Amino acid sequence: EDALLPAPQNISIHSTNMKHFLTWSPVIVQGETVRYSVEFQGEYEREYANESWLPISECSLTTATGCNITEDISASVAYKLRVRAEVGATRSQWGTLKGFFNRVTTSLTPPLLKVTADGYHLLVELEDMGPAFQFRVLYWKKGQERRVQQKVMKEVRSVVHLDTMEAGADYCVKAQTHVEAINRSSSFSQTQCVRAQGDTSMWL
Amino acid sequence: TAGNKIFHFGACRVSMSMTEIRSGFTAIKANIQSRDPIRSLSILSHPHSLHKVKTSDRCCITHHLFDFYVDKVFKHCKTEDSFVNRKISSIANSFLSVRRRLGQCHEQNNCVCGEESTEKFNQILANYEGLNVTSAAMKSLGELDILLDWME
Amino acid sequence: SGELYCSLPNPRNVRFESLNMKNVLHWSAPEGTGDGVLYKVKYSVYGVGKWIRKPECRNINRTWCDLSSETSDYEEQYYASVKAFLNGMCSDWMETTRFNPLTDTKIDPPMVSISSTDKSISIILTAPEKWKRSPEEESISLLQVYPGLQYNVSVLNKKTKKRWFFSISNNTLVVPWLEPGTAYCVSAKIHVTTPLLDSGFSKEQCIATLKDK
Repeated sequence: EDALLPAPQNISIHSTNMKHFLTWSPVIVQGETVRYSVEFQGEYEREYANESWLPISECSLTTATGCNITEDISASVAYKLRVRAEVGATRSQWGTLKGFFNRVTTSLTPPLLKVTADGYHLLVELEDMGPAFQFRVLYWKKGQERRVQQKVMKEVRSVVHLDTMEAGADYCVKAQTHVEAINRSSSFSQTQCVRAQGDTSMWL
Repeated sequence: TAGNKIFHFGACRVSMSMTEIRSGFTAIKANIQSRDPIRSLSILSHPHSLHKVKTSDRCCITHHLFDFYVDKVFKHCKTEDSFVNRKISSIANSFLSVRRRLGQCHEQNNCVCGEESTEKFNQILANYEGLNVTSAAMKSLGELDILLDWME
Repeated sequence: SGELYCSLPNPRNVRFESLNMKNVLHWSAPEGTGDGVLYKVKYSVYGVGKWIRKPECRNINRTWCDLSSETSDYEEQYYASVKAFLNGMCSDWMETTRFNPLTDTKIDPPMVSISSTDKSISIILTAPEKWKRSPEEESISLLQVYPGLQYNVSVLNKKTKKRWFFSISNNTLVVPWLEPGTAYCVSAKIHVTTPLLDSGFSKEQCIATLKDK
């Protein structure tokens, strides 16, 4: 390491919907291209593997000031992350994320969903948020808010059949994501209502 | 489900994310098993198969095996391949969080060890100690699907 | 053992190909050898010391050998190996990777039977059976092998071209309140979460709801 090359600063993690990104401020060296390398350390490495660190090869000698660490943060334990700058053979000290990161703290956003009626059939289409996600879909006949029904689904990017509807009735739907690996759920999406055939079918 | 299952071992209920462990292992299975040239010996499945363990002993054997992998196996599986090492880290850290939950069952006396499970686990340790540590660890890691198949 | 002079090129790409746990060993002929190559096959149970010869695949000229019977216990894992012979020369034994029938098999789509009334269609799904030695042997459904098995069903309204998906764990699905006198096409696939296994979709079958009385 070389004291002339400062360690990266402002190291932080942005984690949303189980996608985790490490970012840091650029190290400026006039006339030089600065590259960065990232390493991670899980609880296992700290307690059983002599506090060893593992390099993330996709973020070795990168010029970017960010790294997608999702693939490596694949257990619900406390991880440490560090970054260093490199110019040629010169390397900075490691800059280490303050504290730990555990994916249980990821922020979960409500899912995007599209509710449609096709005749007497209530249909829903959900966005693909990744393999860790399930969707808890609640639906009810308008006016019978106390008789809410629920379906837990994993199918995404396709029109999934929820239920059949009474002729001419209005049905409302909302959904939240659930990530079993961290046992947490997002808040609910906006409610969307549609009307079953039997009356003028229109969007409410 | 998304592969996160609630495992029932008698009174002990443990939620485990098997999909992540499985996909981590599947990604390195061929690589790890190719490092194990010994066909005639298994750590987990011979001479006694895990499938012959009584239901009442399942929790104890599972708890022992997670301890075994965390304490003895993963640390001796470092390779020259960064991708493989990262996947081993992923599996090891997943095992750590599952072991913690199994440990809670153990403390609440919901994971009692009978004679058979103790004997079975001692057989596994004897198989393990019959090889040099790196070969034994790599063989054990290569047999992770035997453990996962049995658990499921 | 009077072993022949083994400088023949090796059989290539020796691997198991498995469908519904019908486990067949396949390989490619050694490079540059024309006709006349013969093969013999052996297999072993992982963790057990012995290699076992397969008599029905001794001195064969085909490049496959059905080892389903020998590898039917899916709680075990296996290796197999092939050796080639030509004009008094032989190759080395060439081995498969470790074969785990439970996770390394492929699964056929389910059998789908459909019927209709004027306003509904009924779909009955049957999971494929595990390979068995003979028709007399007791059938084991893959549902018993993979308890977490689920069906994903696609229903296409031929008139509106709209496709709906259903995900069910039991094997029957009734889709009520359909349009009379309309053709619907159905196909289904199997999904197992762990181990992760997916069949392809079954061949699409179409049926029309009866005309309004």
